[in-house]
Amino acid sequence: MKLAVQIRDLSKTFIQGIIRKKRKKALKNISMDVPEGSICGVLGPNGAGKTTLLSIIAGILIPDKGNILVFGEDLYSTKGIKKVQNFINISSGHANFLWNMTVKENFHYYGMLYGIDNKERNKRIEELIDLFSLNSYKDVRFSELSTGTKQRLSLAKAFINDPKIVLLDEPTVGLDPDVAMDIRRIIKEFHKKKDITFILTTHNMEEAEELCDEVSFIFDGQIRVKGRPKELKKKFNIGDRIIIELKEGHTFSKDFFISGLLNISISNSYASIVVDDHSIRLPEIINRFIKEGIQIKRMEIRKADLEDVFISFSR
Amino acid sequence: MSSSAFRDEIVKTNAFLFKSWIIAKRDIFGLFEVLFWPLISFLSVGFLSDFASLSSDMKGFILIGVISMNTIQVCQLDVAYVLLYDIWSKALKHSFVAPIGIRHILIGSMVVGIIRGGIVFLILAFLSQLIFHFNILVPDISATSLFLSGLFLNAAIVGILVSILVLTIGYKAEVAAWSVVSLMFLICGIYYPISILPHWAQIIAKTLPLTYFLEYYRIFYGFTPSCSDVLVKGCFLLFLYLILEIYIMHLSLKRAKQSGMLLKLSE
Repeated sequence: MKLAVQIRDLSKTFIQGIIRKKRKKALKNISMDVPEGSICGVLGPNGAGKTTLLSIIAGILIPDKGNILVFGEDLYSTKGIKKVQNFINISSGHANFLWNMTVKENFHYYGMLYGIDNKERNKRIEELIDLFSLNSYKDVRFSELSTGTKQRLSLAKAFINDPKIVLLDEPTVGLDPDVAMDIRRIIKEFHKKKDITFILTTHNMEEAEELCDEVSFIFDGQIRVKGRPKELKKKFNIGDRIIIELKEGHTFSKDFFISGLLNISISNSYASIVVDDHSIRLPEIINRFIKEGIQIKRMEIRKADLEDVFISFSR
Repeated sequence: MSSSAFRDEIVKTNAFLFKSWIIAKRDIFGLFEVLFWPLISFLSVGFLSDFASLSSDMKGFILIGVISMNTIQVCQLDVAYVLLYDIWSKALKHSFVAPIGIRHILIGSMVVGIIRGGIVFLILAFLSQLIFHFNILVPDISATSLFLSGLFLNAAIVGILVSILVLTIGYKAEVAAWSVVSLMFLICGIYYPISILPHWAQIIAKTLPLTYFLEYYRIFYGFTPSCSDVLVKGCFLLFLYLILEIYIMHLSLKRAKQSGMLLKLSE
């Protein structure tokens, strides 16, 4: 497995105040590997250190200690950072670009920063405008765009230099659900089409589960747990929750059991059952109830998500 | 340097030229900076000189000063604003994620500054002849070019200083874009020879290259400079400050990346 990013013992402390007395440890000895071509999620609550980590990988924040290799290049050597900056790019939630420039002019400006000549730049800009459905906005100034369109532009700009790594800092934060879904669709499409490594920060568990091959939970500047979303759910014994309420006169037997059962709590006619996979276990439960003549009043299914993992390990 | 590396340098430099140009042409206040304020200050001083019945020599002395001042003021704003544009748009980090150097930022913005400063110089030179019958182009083309280059590089010194302050203390440095240059004008001999300043101010004036460039150009109008070799001293100080400032700007950028200021300026 070839690694796109290799981080070892990364630490960062911010020093604030006039007499530089206030210290906030943003990252504490973080180590992580990001395989080439993967989507790696960095999850955690606000202030956990996600953006700090991403900014260090982007080369705009210098750590106090630690090493980062990006495709084998030492990011914080003078030569290394120049090379890495050519094939890395970033897109942030709460997108901000030069407000007085149009979409197309912003593309040109950021394209020029990567030394892309006029002919190649025009070609790429046309491609990105098409891919990100920005055609009707190309001559609109940034300040006049809607939040969703700004976000699409921010994402599109991250591909202007044909990068090998794209850093996505909360790409759907503050967006309406339909716009967020669209952004996630674009990320997936791009990942499929091009062999790009993505590192994504989010506090949206559903988003991470949908997009990421591997996730790292960061809390108080430390990576507390990492792994594939499915493996993590298994590791933390987290499954789908089936909530069943029976009709009057029917009760659950206290020794109710089915295969794949992870947890159960029963209170007369009400049960909250946690199973490994609801799509397999639910038909089994229903068949059993039919056989036993038990009638269901209400049923609810809650799919397990990474939020449960987060709650579980932060306890 | 290979031809592709050279092309790369040109394109990156052009990015800042492009940005400054687009913003300058869209900004209505930009028009004020280039035309309104320079004209107001030039005409006020010119009419005041007429009202005070100054001799043509004295009027020339003051008009050289006021034309130089406005040329520098307009030119330096482009360098001073190059990072401020990004900061006001909260987009600074996106520029520094890209593989650019300070040279690209400074040269690109300086080209726009020279164009705008040059326009101001030509407009005021024309009006000076037309309204006040004073010809600022008396010296030959090489002396005028040298003088103008000096003005533009003095503007660069002020602009870079503002950028250093922006990277070091952030938004608060905004005010420096106008005030640093005003302080310089106070003691460099724009409206009066530095000999009338208090002794301590004369010492400061002699550490500023603009003082020598103004004295150099006024020699062609019959004024005696405060010392010999004014051009050599002016050029020496100019290049010394430029080298020092570019070095300090590199350090400021590194420090901004260490302290998180670069991120803070993008939020």
